Amino acid sequence: MARLELDGVSKHYGDFYAAREVTLDVAEGEFLVLLGPSGCGKTTTLRAIAGFVEPSAGTVRIGGKDVTRLPPWKRNTGLVFQNYALFPHLTVAQNVAFGLEMRKVSKADAATKVNEALRLVRLDHLGDRLPRQLSGGQQQRVALARALVFRPDVLLLDEPLSNLDAKLRNEVRVEIRSLQQRLGITTVMVTHDQEEALTMADRLVVMSEGKVRQVGSQRDLYERPADRFVAGFVGRSSFLEGHMSGDTLTTPGGLAIKCARKIAGEAVVALRPERVFVGTEPVTTADNSFPGEVEFVSYMGGLIDIHVRLSEHDQVIAQVPNHDGSVLPAVGDRVHVGWAPTSAVFPAEHNGMDG
Amino acid sequence: MAATLSDEGPRGGALIFSASTLIGPATAIVALGVIGPLLILLRYSLNDFDPRLLMVEAFTAKNYVTFFTDAYYLGVFFTTVRVALICTAICLVLGFPLAYLLARTQTRFKNLLIIGVVIPLFVGNAVRAAGWMTLFGSRGFLSVTLMDLGITTEPTEIMFTELAVIIGIIAVNLPYMVLTLQSVLEGINRNLEEAAFSLGAAPVTMFVRVLWPLALPGIAAGTILTFILAMNAYATPVLLGGPEFRMMAPLVYSQFQLNNWPFAAAVAFLLMGTTLLLTIAASLATRQRFRG
Repeated sequence: MARLELDGVSKHYGDFYAAREVTLDVAEGEFLVLLGPSGCGKTTTLRAIAGFVEPSAGTVRIGGKDVTRLPPWKRNTGLVFQNYALFPHLTVAQNVAFGLEMRKVSKADAATKVNEALRLVRLDHLGDRLPRQLSGGQQQRVALARALVFRPDVLLLDEPLSNLDAKLRNEVRVEIRSLQQRLGITTVMVTHDQEEALTMADRLVVMSEGKVRQVGSQRDLYERPADRFVAGFVGRSSFLEGHMSGDTLTTPGGLAIKCARKIAGEAVVALRPERVFVGTEPVTTADNSFPGEVEFVSYMGGLIDIHVRLSEHDQVIAQVPNHDGSVLPAVGDRVHVGWAPTSAVFPAEHNGMDG
Repeated sequence: MAATLSDEGPRGGALIFSASTLIGPATAIVALGVIGPLLILLRYSLNDFDPRLLMVEAFTAKNYVTFFTDAYYLGVFFTTVRVALICTAICLVLGFPLAYLLARTQTRFKNLLIIGVVIPLFVGNAVRAAGWMTLFGSRGFLSVTLMDLGITTEPTEIMFTELAVIIGIIAVNLPYMVLTLQSVLEGINRNLEEAAFSLGAAPVTMFVRVLWPLALPGIAAGTILTFILAMNAYATPVLLGGPEFRMMAPLVYSQFQLNNWPFAAAVAFLLMGTTLLLTIAASLATRQRFRG
């Protein structure tokens, strides 16, 4: 258990930056998730913490101690790999004991700790098995026990759930999270799965193109995305681009949209589908109300997506709950959509990638 | 049910040819070309030899007794085993890092590197030995260079020594060792090494506890292959070892040339038997409970 700090960590290979000025501060016992599409730098960042990537610049501190130049075996980190990486020639118990053996823990002491760790993941009855005799989920838990048994300063999880099937993934998700909380262990997890990230994290870090886009709680990211990328990557958004003067953004299609924030020049508004109202009359309760034509309706059971075209250039998606007796608009219907001015708006140059 | 059965015929394409049809021709060639002559040799090795009558029908262990009681032949035997063991050990030590590098490299030129390892095999043994001669002779490149640099005053004679033979055999065998090890090392996931590192194992410990045991099947295969090749080396010991240096394979040939077929047959059998025994011993020693 320790605090983990990354200070301006960069890694470049020639001209290519795998990570750029990554600065993070993970509190003791915190569960931090690095979230982003593949190639965003999240794995490079994790490997820099584990010691497999030597940063081109910046420092990594664990428990206040600078470990930037320490090799992996001299850092006290527990790492769980996507493919588990259990030693195939060792039994489950020997796998779990490996880290203790490296730390010269006495045999008797190690046996107790191995048993404890295996009980923690409910596998104490399978200690004599070989990894290949276990299911994927069980191997996963052995890998977790192996990484936890020596009480690492930081637990690192590299896409730990992506090799499991969907049902198992949900179970293991809860299990890892509760175990982490019970042990109070500082944890960094890498994933590209936003649902996984949202359900497990204390705090999330959204990354793209090697850069940290935003750090915050689930709510921060959803309610106050820092830029267009985050707005598109965490949850869904429809985007309306235009020129802003004062508090009004004018789109090429001629819509004048009221916003709560003032940005001079080109800007983009991000609308959460469930915050867009749809009706047959102009939406008087919202500051922004525009007529449009239903272009597409997607019936998803509990929720219904309605794509509404507002102009030649502008389209929004509204998501409405499927209430008993609600009347669904049909494609081609004339409707009115509206939204509050509090929707997120960013300068246009922030759009690193479309969501 | 009948429909299902008839469905399976064409889909399991291999069923068109039965297993025996597929391995039959190869088996027949092996049986005729190897086992047959071996049985004849075994019979010959129990015959008697007379300088005038040459091979005489008999049923005697005389040839084997001669081999094990004559210091010269025993010397040849131990030289062969010694040279083969040294060559194999050095091949393993030199080959492992090379194979590891080839297995782990990310470079686009990996295929070129592998071709680089195999290229020495494109050169015939005699041509290669000729090359070593120009290098090792008393007026060869190495000797002259050492003298010109003032490192030695006398010519260095490597040609026609055991050292020359060992170097020559290693040069032939190393590619076999490297390629065998490389294919096994490639099958060992890199993450396993990283897992060991992250658990606190320094590189040497990681090697001993993870890489070596997982690579053991490949190490055994490579070692056995190079050992067999070294035990049975013919051209290299003849060309680089010179007339004074004798290993088993050249000895067999020279006995055949002297028309002493019974004794040559006995030596051939001893060579094969020793190779086989040491190979079995090696596979038993490296046999493991767990496989990667």
